[in-house]
Amino acid sequence: MADPLNLTRRSLIERMMLIIGATATGGFSMSTLAKAATGTRHLDEAKFTVLGAVADTIVPKTDSVGALDADVPARFDALLKDWASAETRGEIVAAIAEIDALAREKQGKSFAVLDAATRHDILAPHDATSLKVLPSSGKGGMASFTGFPNYTNPGYGRIKELVVTLYYLSEPALTQELIYEHAPGEWQPSIPVTPETRPAGGIGF
Amino acid sequence: MFDAIVIGSGMSGGIAAKELCERGLKTLVIERGRKLEHGASYTDWMQPWELPNAGMIPQEELARDYPIQSKCYAVTSATQQFWVKDSEHPYTTPEDKPFAWIRGHHLGGRSIMWGRQSYRLSEMDFEANAKDGHGTDWPIRYADLASWYDHVEKFIGVAGSKEGLPQLPDGEFLPPFGLNDGELVLKQAVEAQFPGRKVIPGRVANLSQAQPQHEALGRTSCQNRSFCSQGCSYGAAHSSLSSSLPAAEQTGNLTIVTDAIVHSIVHDPATGKATGVRVIDAGTKEGRTYEAKVIFCCASTIGTAQILLNSKSDAFPSGLANSSDMVGRNLMDHLFALSVAGMLPNGPNTYYHGRRPTGLYIPRFRNVTEPGEFLRGYGFQGGAMRMGWRSAALAMPGIGAALKERVRKLGPWMIYVTGFGEMLPNPENRVTLNANKTDKWGIPTPHVACTIGENERKMAKQMIIDGKAMVEAAGGMVMSVNDEPGEPGLGIHEMGTARMGKDPRNSVLNGFNQAHDVPNLFITDGSAMASGGCQNPSLTYMALSARAAHHAVAFLQEGKI
Repeated sequence: MADPLNLTRRSLIERMMLIIGATATGGFSMSTLAKAATGTRHLDEAKFTVLGAVADTIVPKTDSVGALDADVPARFDALLKDWASAETRGEIVAAIAEIDALAREKQGKSFAVLDAATRHDILAPHDATSLKVLPSSGKGGMASFTGFPNYTNPGYGRIKELVVTLYYLSEPALTQELIYEHAPGEWQPSIPVTPETRPAGGIGF
Repeated sequence: MFDAIVIGSGMSGGIAAKELCERGLKTLVIERGRKLEHGASYTDWMQPWELPNAGMIPQEELARDYPIQSKCYAVTSATQQFWVKDSEHPYTTPEDKPFAWIRGHHLGGRSIMWGRQSYRLSEMDFEANAKDGHGTDWPIRYADLASWYDHVEKFIGVAGSKEGLPQLPDGEFLPPFGLNDGELVLKQAVEAQFPGRKVIPGRVANLSQAQPQHEALGRTSCQNRSFCSQGCSYGAAHSSLSSSLPAAEQTGNLTIVTDAIVHSIVHDPATGKATGVRVIDAGTKEGRTYEAKVIFCCASTIGTAQILLNSKSDAFPSGLANSSDMVGRNLMDHLFALSVAGMLPNGPNTYYHGRRPTGLYIPRFRNVTEPGEFLRGYGFQGGAMRMGWRSAALAMPGIGAALKERVRKLGPWMIYVTGFGEMLPNPENRVTLNANKTDKWGIPTPHVACTIGENERKMAKQMIIDGKAMVEAAGGMVMSVNDEPGEPGLGIHEMGTARMGKDPRNSVLNGFNQAHDVPNLFITDGSAMASGGCQNPSLTYMALSARAAHHAVAFLQEGKI
């Protein structure tokens, strides 16, 4: 059974090109993170800081807002408290620790204190390895597009999915990165694509 | 005493109540769930960043309280309030025959969350049982229902295109939600390479262009938001709350009671009629009885079977209106979840604006214009879309600026088609009551035993072959196939447990949806269906409800019931 999350050889080539060409341009600001982290947190200070660095590395601030601008770490932490099961929470916390351990192994320092380029260099290969999709035993069809994939590293898969989802559903991302209209009004089945065209955001895919 | 009682306020009950009230009957609607208010009870105002838990129900709560409901595509934190907690509303199935009973208990029932796809049955559907011998012959034909389809379509508002297809009759349509360019690629390829097949805009009960009769009820045109299952504050999506119950209320003849769980229907052996409805208060668990001259049961297919089977008396020891032993039998759904999805590598370089509330439809062609190695047939629903942020960000590894950059680009076109296939009526697919298991109101819980047969398996196999061929004909690269039918119930088209028929010995209802055994009892929800066709059935329930209400009032006036 084909799984869309493994896509095609063409997309794999594209993926490689994207990774080769990727550069992390954003900076990780402890003060921004501290500002975002209000109220009672699930994660302890050290893990929360690593989470913030991971989120900032996955979706950095570039010419547009990044995960920290969208309060992703604090909202992620809230999901750990309010949404995740004990099992999922355990997977995620372990995956955060795993990334930090990787940084300590390679750089002798916590992931949270590394500069953006070094963080990117550590996380990018970890991302590629962790997100290989094993053959799914679940339903195909639409479920393949909406269900949680069978990643080799499910804990990291959760982190990536939650960071990305929280970012692209955030008000800053939907108003500055993508386009979003709550009530589009008219249905126009065909409009031209221009250099300014951005994909529409929202809860769907 | 009321003139009429309608049990259930969903798709069928709402229309039945409207039609009865408009004909002057003082009508009581009994709803087992809580009261909802049109607009105030909805969550369609929530911006994406306001969705609780980013749209996700807490995992442990989902596993504990919604193990069945969570199988439905529309269950999110924004719609959570509309689904029953499985933990509070138990039913059983045989271990080897799972059945997903997807439901919501509140005023308006599933009309709040329904998919709104609205298709007429055709003459070939009403003739199917008689021709191949499965089930019992429908006591009506298309001509008996055609004007009632017109009537309902004008009232609820159905957007669609006229196609002139015998297997999918045209109706009183509002302008269609047009196909996008990816769908037009599929349409051109399929219609050129498979003569007889058609790709058309999905017919949907959303007001593409509100008409005066809709605006009179406060309904306005669709804003193309696709938040329909969160409740539509614009009233553009038809529901009992936006349309039928407000119309009924305008007559001054409507009374609604909520939080009243129907225990049984009271039967008077002296007159042979039903005299009232026993209910249990959902909160206090106290019982009371409402009386009326005529009773409409619209509690949904399994709910109606449960009520009838629990309405035992000396006259009807196996349940009310069950002299045929057909109450609870012939449970059907539609084959569901059989899907093919593919990418269009060379799709058109265009986009679309808005989130229309429907997609495309491919009407049945097997055993219509092309042969099938099985009886009956199937249609496909689906659509084409440019893949968006979620797939761009998550379908492949990659982080950082590159991830953001690729999400900013329009994704490739994806085409998907999902088959909906007809299940043959089978008396062994049935709802019974558990003798020793009751819910917290003391009502015996349903036991649902339902499975697909050989004909459905053959159909499922061909459905996938056809789906792949059509996606590939459009130049699509098939990426995902689900060739295993979903468990029955997931189509959310339960039908057949009090079927219409000509012969009281093998059917429950006559051609007016009137119980053969109880002349003032009418049943117009999915349980009345003698066969299911492959079309989404709610429009037919509503047409049957309106027609039955018309005849019930006439019978009352003539002193026949």
